[in-house]
Amino acid sequence: MLNLMKQSLRRTTWIARITFLEAIRQRFFAFLILLSAALVVSSVSFRFLDFGHGELKFVADFGFGGIFFFGSILTLAMTAQLFFAEIENRTAMTLLAKPVSRWEFLVGKFIGVWAVLGIFIFTLTLILGLIMWGRHQELVALAEAAGRVPPDLSVSGVAAYALLQWLRLGVIAAMVLAVSSVARSFLFAIVVGAMAVLAGQLQWIAEEALLKEKQITTVYQSFLWLITRIVPNLQQFNIGDALALDVASVSNGAVWAASLSGCIYIIVLLILAGLGFRRREI
Amino acid sequence: MSDEIAISVQGLTKDFRVGLVGHKLRAVDNLSLEIPRGQVYGLLGPNGCGKSTTLKIILGLVPATAGKVSILGFGSATSEARRRAGFLPEAPYFHKFLTGRELVSYYARLSGVAEVDLKSAVEVALDATAMTEAGNRTIGTYSKGMLQRIGLAQAIVHQPELVILDEPTAGVDPVGAAAIGKMILAMRAQGKTVVLCSHLLGQVEQVCDRVAIMDKGRLVLEGRVDDILARRDRQVITASDLTDKAWAAAEAALLAHGAKDVSLTHPRRSLEELFRELVKGSRDA
Repeated sequence: MLNLMKQSLRRTTWIARITFLEAIRQRFFAFLILLSAALVVSSVSFRFLDFGHGELKFVADFGFGGIFFFGSILTLAMTAQLFFAEIENRTAMTLLAKPVSRWEFLVGKFIGVWAVLGIFIFTLTLILGLIMWGRHQELVALAEAAGRVPPDLSVSGVAAYALLQWLRLGVIAAMVLAVSSVARSFLFAIVVGAMAVLAGQLQWIAEEALLKEKQITTVYQSFLWLITRIVPNLQQFNIGDALALDVASVSNGAVWAASLSGCIYIIVLLILAGLGFRRREI
Repeated sequence: MSDEIAISVQGLTKDFRVGLVGHKLRAVDNLSLEIPRGQVYGLLGPNGCGKSTTLKIILGLVPATAGKVSILGFGSATSEARRRAGFLPEAPYFHKFLTGRELVSYYARLSGVAEVDLKSAVEVALDATAMTEAGNRTIGTYSKGMLQRIGLAQAIVHQPELVILDEPTAGVDPVGAAAIGKMILAMRAQGKTVVLCSHLLGQVEQVCDRVAIMDKGRLVLEGRVDDILARRDRQVITASDLTDKAWAAAEAALLAHGAKDVSLTHPRRSLEELFRELVKGSRDA
């Protein structure tokens, strides 16, 4: 049994490794990482547009927003592309003719994609963190000279943000894999995946309505309940600026709850992907 | 099931749903086959006759609508069955950024070859397919024939008992095709069972022990190549330096003994043989 598990892990790891190598060779990935890095770096130049908020908050919002936006695009396109490339180029046929289970194939694909997303998130967060830290040092010096209270910046909060974003992109990648496992075309997977991401971003509206609306019918209430259970709440990961600039406002519980629900969603979505892919004709 | 049977197909049927309303398209229709161990078995038929679908069902890549398939006694969808089989798909495509050696190592690992045996298994497979020298080149630089050979190397790297080849010579020049034919015969000599799907009937005739011919999803003929090609109602007499007078006497004698449709023809080599001889001659020179 242990030997079988070791073999399965070995196969999954190798599929992930090849998926990772294939992904990082794609020009699209390099283009997006450069574009996102340029956006993050340029956030300092746009800080005069802070609309009355703290300068660091503007830089954080601008940078975190860019990372999330381009990260979501990268996740959608890369996950669907790497999955359909295997099907359409028929490399999946050679691969699945080996003693490789379809679960191993899917999990290997997911881990390969997620590793690339990890590089994307941690590289860009590192760049943003360095920019914020540099500007924070200047602002602290200015505030001390003027006798004002210096702004806060939590480096561990920025790191926690990176982990949460990585989980969020993992949830999106698992969603796209679940859609791709049953989709017939790359375009369909991209469109439905994008709609699922949008639904995930707006899921909190249904949650709020369920909590606050008292005068609703049972049918509407059931519908909202179903939405909140099926659609992952991607908004719960959106606490980057609070984690970085006002860490006291975010409880450890919220971070842990978001992390745990992210992990659970990834597992559930991968199970759905596996069930969809189980009898797919290759 | 007998130990002598490599693949058993019983009452196999496969329907595909096509179009928005899901019209049923029958690709394989109640197919039953038993492929003996240690032989080269040809699966022939025109395009769309259901050969590739049958191969995919045998390998568990496509689920059957009805019927049973087993490989060496194991259900075709099981990993045990796939561990014992190697597969080269038609027009194979591999990750272009890998070298041939890396690709074969990758598939060896997926096939369960232990790390300690990996290097030697890869070298044996590359050597058997004459890809040792090109093994360090990236696959993106390979010709079509080299792609087929590296595909064959990944199929045999784990020393499977059964090798399934779907159009292994498609797009390959006659010299390359002949080399692949030799590899198939070498595999048979090692005791492996080879299932070959090909449109090159000349090659099939040369390397296969048995063939099955499919049409419209059904089996129309199955048997030993020698048995099904021999025309028991026709005879050929071959002679050299035959004079007109000798031929006239022979013809008269045959007719006197009741022979019909007596004719004089010259045996001819196939175009494939002539081409191979000419090309080989110019390459050697």
